[in-house]
Parts: sequence; C-alpha cells; structure tokens
Amino acid sequence: MSKLLTIGFKDLRIMFRDRAALILMLAAPFVLTLGLGLVTGGLSQSTGAVSNVPVVVVNNDAGTLGQSLATVITSADLAGLFDASVQGDVGAARSLVEEGTVAAAVIIPAGFTDSIIPSGASGQTGPLARVEVFRDPGRPVSSGVVQAVVESFINQVETGRIGGQIAIEQLLASGAVAPADVPQIAAAMGEQSGREANLDIIRVRNTASGAVSAAEIDPMSFLAPGMAMLFLMYTVSLGGRSILDEQREGTLARMLSTPTRGGQVLTGKTFGIYFVGVAQMMILIVASTLLFRLDWGDPLAVFALVLSIVAGAAGWGLLLAAVAKTPSQVSSVGMAMALLFGLIGGSFFGGTLTGPLGTLSKITPNAWGQDGFAMLARGDTLVDLLPAIAALWVMCFVLVAVAVAIFNRKGMLQR
Amino acid sequence: MSKILSIAWKDTQVRFASRSEILFFLLLPILFTALVGQTSSGQANADRRVVVLVVNQDGGALATDLIDTMNGSTAIRAEVLDAGEAARRFDDRDAPALVTIPAGFEAALRSGQAVELPMETDATNLNSLVAEQGVRAAAGVVGRPLAAALLSVAQAGQVRPFADDAERIAFFDSSLAAARDLTASAPVRIEATSAVESDDSSWNGYAFASAGQLIIWTLIPLLGTAALFAFERETGTLQRLLTTATRKPTYLSGVVTGQLGMGLVQMAILIGFGALAFKINWGDNPAALAAVLVAFGLAAVAMGVMLGTLVRSSRQASGVSILLGMTLGLLGGCMWPLEFFPPAVQRIVHLVPTTWAMEALTDISMRGAGLPQVMPNIAVLLGFAALFFVLGVWRFRYE
Repeated sequence: MSKLLTIGFKDLRIMFRDRAALILMLAAPFVLTLGLGLVTGGLSQSTGAVSNVPVVVVNNDAGTLGQSLATVITSADLAGLFDASVQGDVGAARSLVEEGTVAAAVIIPAGFTDSIIPSGASGQTGPLARVEVFRDPGRPVSSGVVQAVVESFINQVETGRIGGQIAIEQLLASGAVAPADVPQIAAAMGEQSGREANLDIIRVRNTASGAVSAAEIDPMSFLAPGMAMLFLMYTVSLGGRSILDEQREGTLARMLSTPTRGGQVLTGKTFGIYFVGVAQMMILIVASTLLFRLDWGDPLAVFALVLSIVAGAAGWGLLLAAVAKTPSQVSSVGMAMALLFGLIGGSFFGGTLTGPLGTLSKITPNAWGQDGFAMLARGDTLVDLLPAIAALWVMCFVLVAVAVAIFNRKGMLQR
Repeated sequence: MSKILSIAWKDTQVRFASRSEILFFLLLPILFTALVGQTSSGQANADRRVVVLVVNQDGGALATDLIDTMNGSTAIRAEVLDAGEAARRFDDRDAPALVTIPAGFEAALRSGQAVELPMETDATNLNSLVAEQGVRAAAGVVGRPLAAALLSVAQAGQVRPFADDAERIAFFDSSLAAARDLTASAPVRIEATSAVESDDSSWNGYAFASAGQLIIWTLIPLLGTAALFAFERETGTLQRLLTTATRKPTYLSGVVTGQLGMGLVQMAILIGFGALAFKINWGDNPAALAAVLVAFGLAAVAMGVMLGTLVRSSRQASGVSILLGMTLGLLGGCMWPLEFFPPAVQRIVHLVPTTWAMEALTDISMRGAGLPQVMPNIAVLLGFAALFFVLGVWRFRYE
C-alpha cells in the first residue's frame, strides 16, 4: 500500500509544480466561474431571467383601451421589467427595433378600442384592428416578455367582451331586456367589463421543492461545479498522459525493475490521477465558497460526491491512456473529451439534457455530478445522493477493468 | 512575398501534422453548433416536451379539460399519476414540475370562486421555468371562458336579478358553453412581427449558436499563435530561421498570414455549414459578413501575437489561449445571449472584441444588417487589432 501511495503522491507533487498545467486545472475553471457570476448576475444577486427590457409604445388609438394598454406597459408596476418609452411615430419606433436599441415596439392602431367596444349609438363594433408587437429577433426572450404582457392585456379585454356579449344575448333571448336598450347596455358593459373579468380564476401557486426555497438557491451553486467538472476531465487526461510519458522517458521501465509489480505501478498511477482530481475539485470548491459565498450544501455529502465524481473521471483518464498511442494524442483527445462531456453532461449550462442525449450523457461523470450538486443545492442529503454515487463508482470500476485489460494486452506492464 | 507565403504554408503543415487537429478545426465546432443550437432554439417536438406530473384529485370535466389543454401545448405534456407515484418520480428528479388538481376544483369554479392550483417545481432544473409557463398558459386557456361566463352571470344579474339558484346555474352553464365557442372563434387581436422580413424571422437558436461557436472555435487557435512563437523559441527554429536572409517583419507577417488564413478558412467552412445544415441566413450581405470576419480574425491574431510576448512556454500558451478564448466567448455573449446579462454588465462587456464580433454577426444573420450597420463594429475590431499588433510587435522577443 505504501508503494501505491508513494507513486500517487509523487504524481500529485509533479502536477502541482507544473505551472502550465495549473492554468487549465485551476485558473480556467475559476476565471470562467467568475465570468459566469458576472453574466448571470450571480455576483450582483439580481438573479432572474430578464430585466429592464427596453420597449417603445406607439398609441394611435383614440379610445380608452389603447390608452390603458400604453399605461400598463409604462406603468410603475412594470418599471423593473420594462424600460419603456412612448414614441409618436411608427416608423421611428420600428427603426429603434431594427437598430437593436429596443427589444420590441408595441404599435396600437387607430380604431383599436372601437373594434372591441360597441359604439353607444349603433351597437356595432368597428373593423378588426390588431395591436402589433414588432420584435427584435436577436432578443427572443426580452421581446417575448413584451408580447406576453400585451397578450395578457388583450385576453383580459377579450374575456370581458365575450362575457358582456353572452350576458346580453341571453338576456335578449329570455326577454329580460328589450332590443332597443341593447346598444346602451352593451356600451356600459364594455366600459367596465375589461376591469371586472377575473382572469386569474385558476391560480397557479408555485412552491419550489426541497428543504431550500427557490429564492434561496443561487444558480451559481450548480453552475460553478459544472466548470470545475469540465476541467476535471482535462486533468484526468493529463494524468493518463503521464503514464505514456513515463513509458516514453523510461521511468516506467525503471519503476518496474524495482521489486514493484506492474499492477502496483498502475494502481499507484491511478491513485495519482485520483489525488490530483480530488485536490483540484476541493481547491475550487473551497475557493468559490470563500470568494462567492456559495453554499454547496451538506459538506459531508459534497465531499462524498466529489470523491465519487473524481473516481468516475479517473476511470476515463486511465482508459484514454490505455487506448492512445502517443502522449500528445492523449492530450488532444483528452481536451476534446473534456469539452464533449462538458457539453452533453450539462457543465456549460448548469443543467442536464433530456431525450436521447440525456440518456447518452449518463456515461459522463459530469451529468451525474451536475445532478448531484443540483440536489445538494436544493437541500437534499447524502442518502438522496446514493444512487448517483453508486453509478459513479460502477463507472469507475468498469472503465478501470477495461483499461487494465488493454494495458495487459499491450504488455505495457511487463518487466 | 514568397517568403511570407512559405512561412505561412509551413505553419499550416505543422498545425495539421497531427490528424487530431481536425477534431478542433471542424468536428467539435460543428457538434457544438448543432447541440447548442438545438438547446437554445427550443424547437420542441412531441418527444422533447417538458413533462409535468399531474395528480388529479378532482376528476371532474374541468380538470380533464385542464389536462387536455396542457397536452395540447407545444412546450409541456401532462403525465397523470396517483399521488404516491408522482411524488416518487418528482423526488427522483424525473420531471421538473408536479401539479395537483385539488378535490373540489370543479365545484368551486362553477360557483365563481377562484381556485388555487398547487404546483411544485424543482428550481435546480432549468426546464422548471418552461413547465411553469406551460401550466400557467393552460390554466389561462381553461380559465378564460370560465371568467367570461362568470362575468356574464354577474352582469346579467345586475340588469335583472336571478329568481333562484337553479336559474343562475342554468344561466352559467349556457354562458360557459357560449363562452367556449366565442373564445375559440375570437379574432386574433395581436400580431407579432419581426425586424427581419424573411420566412423564418423568429429567433433562430442555430443562428445564435453558429455565430457564437464560430467565434469561440476560431478565437482559440488564433490566440494559439502565441504558442507557435513560444514553440519556435523553445526549439530554436526561430533563431535558425532568422540566421537566413529573412527579416524579422517578414517572419512576423508570415506567421500572421498563415494563422489568419487558416482562421478565415475555418470561418468560411463553419459559415457554409451553418447555411447548408441549419438554413442560417448568412447570404444577404456577403460583403458585410466578410468584412466582419476579417476584422475579427485580425483582432484575434493580433491578440495572439501580443499574448506571445507574455507567455513563457508553448504549453503555457496553449492553456492560456483556451482559458482566454472561452472566457472572452462567455463575456462576448457567445455562450449565452447578451440579453440575459444584467444591464450594467451588458455595457461592461463591450470592452472585449468578442462582444463586437458577436453583435455584428447576429445583426447580419438575424436583423438583416448590411455594411453600414455593422461599420462601427468593424471599426472597433480593427482598432483592437491595431492596438494588439502595436503592443505585440513592440514587445516581441526573438530569442
């Protein structure tokens, strides 16, 4: 055992002395996490989808509904969501969208109110006049929010109109009102119905699950591990590369000439990959805990998860070394593997994929780890993590077994 | 001139000496574009709709109506389960949301009372937002005729009070039936138009992914120019080259020409691939597109030259170029759209060239911009190029 640990710790020391390797092992995930914090607002604590969406309103309608819609969009209630301004000219408003200054223009046409509320004199509505939401395709979410607000306003008005229309039709049918009185009643109803329709009759009340409420979960607590795992995969490939380097430089043969068996050397090298990976993950976790004040969840469970993720990753590193022909092949394929695993394992987006790719992603330590860190962030405990931990260790043993078989066939571990 | 070209050609051969380079030059960029495009375009087909677990404790017609409406959505689909099974699946993180239709749902709604629809979402699942919006939309669709029918009852009651409850209920039932018809046949009163007049003017996730991935994957090797300088210094080939009748500026121009050339070829292939495979509209303004790509390529290779003066070894240079490339890509809005950034950050990130390149490329592919519109971006990118070249050449070490 002491031989194994000696080899393992030797590799740990070598790796942490290599300044070039440290750039991708520690600096890169750290800088990218910092960048993520900046762009997601994680550092400013203003998490959420979009805010201060620039929007412009053009109201060409002379009636009350056009005015109400314009007021809704520019209202103080929506001031955090929208950064709204009023524009008199349709062409100018469109230009603002086209040049990307605002995310959308809401254009209320002349006759909008008349197309919904029947006139008091004739009882008839005017021709259909549609509100136009002129959207910037480059800002789908922001302009989508503008459209959703306009839609909900129109639904409100439409529901009021339909309610009023039905009331009148049924009252007419039952003879409760005379046809002559209809225009007057209809106009009166139209004025107030928009305000009275209770569209919120089925109220969706959302509660986030878990011991921690949604508002308390910092998205950084599952984005940061993603970056750490992305570069962990790179680290294990470096570890795998060191086996081929030692073979090439002759130090592997020298080790095998001592009373050390091939299996012991390989186990020692695997320990080396493992120690480096664990050290890398723990340094990143401790550093981001201190700097970003991230709460990763139950510390014991975090540690158990890290040990398991690195085990799965080390398996991949060893397999890569077993199949590769040259050290530089390990490096470039390792980098490609790190990026691909990161992509399908959800490390870039902080969430796992669904569908066939989601199933495929289960071969990556990243996907299991991403899931595990997300569970910890929402307050789950070690017991809930057991399936993921078991899966990662199974991954480790299967990959190591395959790698050892390949090493043996190549005769790399013979004296 | 021929010297410059031979140096450029030599560098190209060195780079592609290893076959695995094709992985980074083409295969990974294309894979990333396809996957990122798919995730950010949200084109949900039947199988990829987000699952919402539903426990139906009411069982009435309105509850069924709500479930059917959810299933009619393009974004979500309902999976009706008993309470225990649903809770187990939700705890296993199989689905991002669990909705419970409470007992008495129908009775309460028919009497005009608002009903709460409890929904649990998993905040750590990115699809939970989609699930919540889908459920809210379905509740709205079911709620609208109900609201109209209730309003009708209230308004009719004001004109002439109902004789008894039976009359009120009958009035409500016929109103609800009429409201459903009228809601279904209501005219469309909103029209969403887009700044680009084309067939697929809506948000194109692939156009975003294609532009973003193109920038990241061409930036990293162009920054890697630094590694090339370091490598030649390490192996002594740079000194050997300079003992020949090759002047230093000729050498630098050769390297820059080679790297820029490879970068532009890579960009052209990725643009072509995006246009063919993902139908991205790159073609309207080829002059604008070419100008932006050349300006970006120059800024990137100039940054690589400057980086070459700062790094000590080629391995350090490769590490730094990957780190820098990914970070600049992230900040430039190549991984996540700029619109998600906090407003202040949206302004700060204009200090990096990738933001300007990304904006120009999305302006061209999504907003149909031409040369005049992207001119400011080109100017800024050329400014970055000039600045980095001056710093890089000034500090350049040949030994």
